[in-house]
Amino acid sequence: MEDLTQEFLAESREGLERMELCLTELEKRPGDGELVAEIFRAVHTIKGTTGFLGFGRLQTLAHAGETLLAAVRDGKVSVTGELISGLLELRDGLQAILQIIETRGNEGERHTDDDGELIAQLQTLQAGGLPQAAQRDAGRPTDAPPISLRVVENPTARDQSSSTEPQPMAGQAQAGTERTLRIDVVVLNRMMDLVGELVLTRNQILQSRPDAESFPELARRLNGVTTELRDSVMEARMQPVGNLFSKFPRMVRDLALTCGRRVRIEFEGQETGLDKSLLEAVRDPLAHAVRNAVDHGIEPPEERVRAGKPAEGVVRLRAFQQGGSVVIEVIDDGAGILTERVLAKAMERGLVTAEQAAAMTERDALQLLFLPGFSTAKEVTSVSGRGVGMDVVRTNVEHAGGRVELESRAGIGTTVRLRVPLTLAIVPALVVESGGQSFALPQSALTELVRVPHADAGVSVEQIGSSELYRLREGVLPLVRLDRLLGIEPDAGAEPRGFYIAVLELERRRFGLVVDALRPPEEIVVKPLSASLRELGVYSGATVLGNGTLAMILDVAAIAARAGVRPSEETRLAAGEAAQAQSPFAMQAEIVMENSMVLYETAARSEDGVMRSTRMAMPMSAVERIATVPVGEIEYVDGRAVVQYDTELLSLEDDGGVLAEMSPRKGATVTVLICLQPTERGVRKMGVVVRRVLDVCAGTVLAEDAAHGGSALAMIQDRVTALHPGFGGFARFAGFAGFDAHAAGTPTGALQGAA
Amino acid sequence: MKMARIAEKNLAQEEVVSLCSLHSGNRLFGVDTREIREVLGAAVPQPVPLAPAYIAGVISYRGNVLTTVSLRALLGMERQSGASCVLVLEDEEPGRQFGLMADGVGSLVTTTASELEANPSTLEARSAAIFDGVYKMQAGLMVRLDPRRLRPLQLARSGLFGNAKQQRGWER
Repeated sequence: MEDLTQEFLAESREGLERMELCLTELEKRPGDGELVAEIFRAVHTIKGTTGFLGFGRLQTLAHAGETLLAAVRDGKVSVTGELISGLLELRDGLQAILQIIETRGNEGERHTDDDGELIAQLQTLQAGGLPQAAQRDAGRPTDAPPISLRVVENPTARDQSSSTEPQPMAGQAQAGTERTLRIDVVVLNRMMDLVGELVLTRNQILQSRPDAESFPELARRLNGVTTELRDSVMEARMQPVGNLFSKFPRMVRDLALTCGRRVRIEFEGQETGLDKSLLEAVRDPLAHAVRNAVDHGIEPPEERVRAGKPAEGVVRLRAFQQGGSVVIEVIDDGAGILTERVLAKAMERGLVTAEQAAAMTERDALQLLFLPGFSTAKEVTSVSGRGVGMDVVRTNVEHAGGRVELESRAGIGTTVRLRVPLTLAIVPALVVESGGQSFALPQSALTELVRVPHADAGVSVEQIGSSELYRLREGVLPLVRLDRLLGIEPDAGAEPRGFYIAVLELERRRFGLVVDALRPPEEIVVKPLSASLRELGVYSGATVLGNGTLAMILDVAAIAARAGVRPSEETRLAAGEAAQAQSPFAMQAEIVMENSMVLYETAARSEDGVMRSTRMAMPMSAVERIATVPVGEIEYVDGRAVVQYDTELLSLEDDGGVLAEMSPRKGATVTVLICLQPTERGVRKMGVVVRRVLDVCAGTVLAEDAAHGGSALAMIQDRVTALHPGFGGFARFAGFAGFDAHAAGTPTGALQGAA
Repeated sequence: MKMARIAEKNLAQEEVVSLCSLHSGNRLFGVDTREIREVLGAAVPQPVPLAPAYIAGVISYRGNVLTTVSLRALLGMERQSGASCVLVLEDEEPGRQFGLMADGVGSLVTTTASELEANPSTLEARSAAIFDGVYKMQAGLMVRLDPRRLRPLQLARSGLFGNAKQQRGWER
């Protein structure tokens, strides 16, 4: 297609989107002349350009609309609900013709009365002749297609929004907006500058030698430029979430009319940026959640008044960034979800037993809504109030590497929370080893890590039939051994050691992946695989690790399916059986996450004044990352050691004098625990230089020991170990007491630290 | 030069063909240089568990992941440890490549299409699936390989080299 037509289509689409927003706005503020002018401009632009491009049909329709809008602008026609509906239909009509132009390159066959009815309706509106329009509206339901054109071509947004069935958005309708992207010239210039900088740095590196004096400096610059370039490219891919929200006012309006509700939609945080591909991925789930909120969440006006609420319900869309993810909430002030009804229905449908239902918490009960069985049954939704296709919402969001959370309070309302990562191309991942090979495990599905020492491996893992179970806190966790699943021969020569369990949760499946060893988490760049390897259905891609080797990226959902892991509701039943089959003596399962400690070796001045090597520990929850820092990168300010970490300056604590031991050697590196230390004024980030990290393992915090200057002690691997003095309090404060909530949501700071 | 007796598909008669010779074990092969994008000297493929035996693994090639087919495995020879030569060839998906791993790459050989002899009719099915014919060289026979037939997906479709999806007994 010609460039000119392409550009026209993109611009017209933007104009129509604006028009839709202005129309829904105009309904609330009928006197706003600015809005009328804006709508007029959108239609006028289309009319002007179509005449030039020779799209006669589009021009005729736009002209009819323009004439009506001119009358509205001049105050000859007043703004009524009918007028808004008529103008929205005009918008749909224009949109449908644009769609035809895009797919066929011309306006399509011209049937005699294609636009005639719509044009006639617009003329009636202009003449102030409401009767005909009103009659028409009364004659058929509002969601009936008013013009034949819409039925012939792809369904427009309106038709879809009025349907309560989960429907994929017409891909074609969005096609035009997906192919092109508008980027701020400032961002583009910034990217060009950075590329220039990258070229210069490369030139210098090519002319330099690894042993040259300036090499560390060059490497640092390369690092800096790469980070900035990555950030600015990601920024360019970012689109405001508001783009996604823009179609909801119309959808909510139409849906409220159909369902007989009074609903107001509110937005917050429209400017929050999200990667373009992810924006597309959450489009459908979000529309679904909004549809649910209006359809099932908000009560009919009379009911609301009876409950002492304003007749008009509110659906609030709220977006904000939280850590490495973007959260989009759909909040309604409707009736909420009655858990008793959910449970009753679940029992009726045989999803849970009466005993199970009785034992369920409110949170557990809400999770039942995500079961596929719940979504398909119409009568369930009409009674319980929610649940149409919540499993679809969850599946779509999890496909995009995100999560869905549901909160509800009876009589007060419901919140659906979609949590999606900022980008998909670069993801934080844990690198695991199995059978001597490295694999990358995306952190989005990871909930916690457990280390099982060799001594405990025999007792803490139970066999039921051919499957293995691990007792994790009060539950049991089905284990999947990665080496066995992938058919890798275990290292024959390796001496028996403990192993690690990566606890993964995805699509209601929870299981532990058993791996031999863990490597530091990395931010990995996802590379697509060839079709023949994609077919294996175990890997979602491959990546080049920091050490230059390739690693396959494990597809957690596929692994769960391959290993036959069942959704957690079923597993819970199995858990009951397991508990009965349990041996009489209690087992000492070591649980890393609850009291997890980083055990390291450092030097400390003993009582005779000599520096001695010693074991110390730091709560895992305080450690953001374990980094290897080249000694050359450490700089000194007033005798204090500092290092550049990401973009900030990190002060290093070296009580053990490790740096003094190392500094003469060139190219040497030190291990630094990058941690968050609690202070009176909140938390500060700092680095603790250690000789080496020994282990990450479970430990029990003992009472504070006055003899050791008030520093806390912990029992780790049956040895009393001193906690780092700055973190004794942290262990009690953040590490353990509040951990349950923390563990349920995200992996620990140490695992997220890759960013 | 003698007149062509066999009209080869797509190849004009008397057209001079230059072949890149490669060997696996003691066998000599040739691949049309026009089909080769690049020859990588010493590459160590990263094995991919669960992949069919003829896939040696993946290697990193210009920012992409290159699926590499092992010629040795296709011929039923023992796997060789260590670095090997990899020919980068065009894959089915446009703009994507795959690798062909051989023990070593030799010199360029110039010949004509007409000198290509057809596969012997007694050739077993596996070899017939990947061999394109034979050239008589001074040093011995050189088997011509058709890169299109060595594409990983093509090999999987042929069903001759083991199925990619192995089911394991321990699964529930």
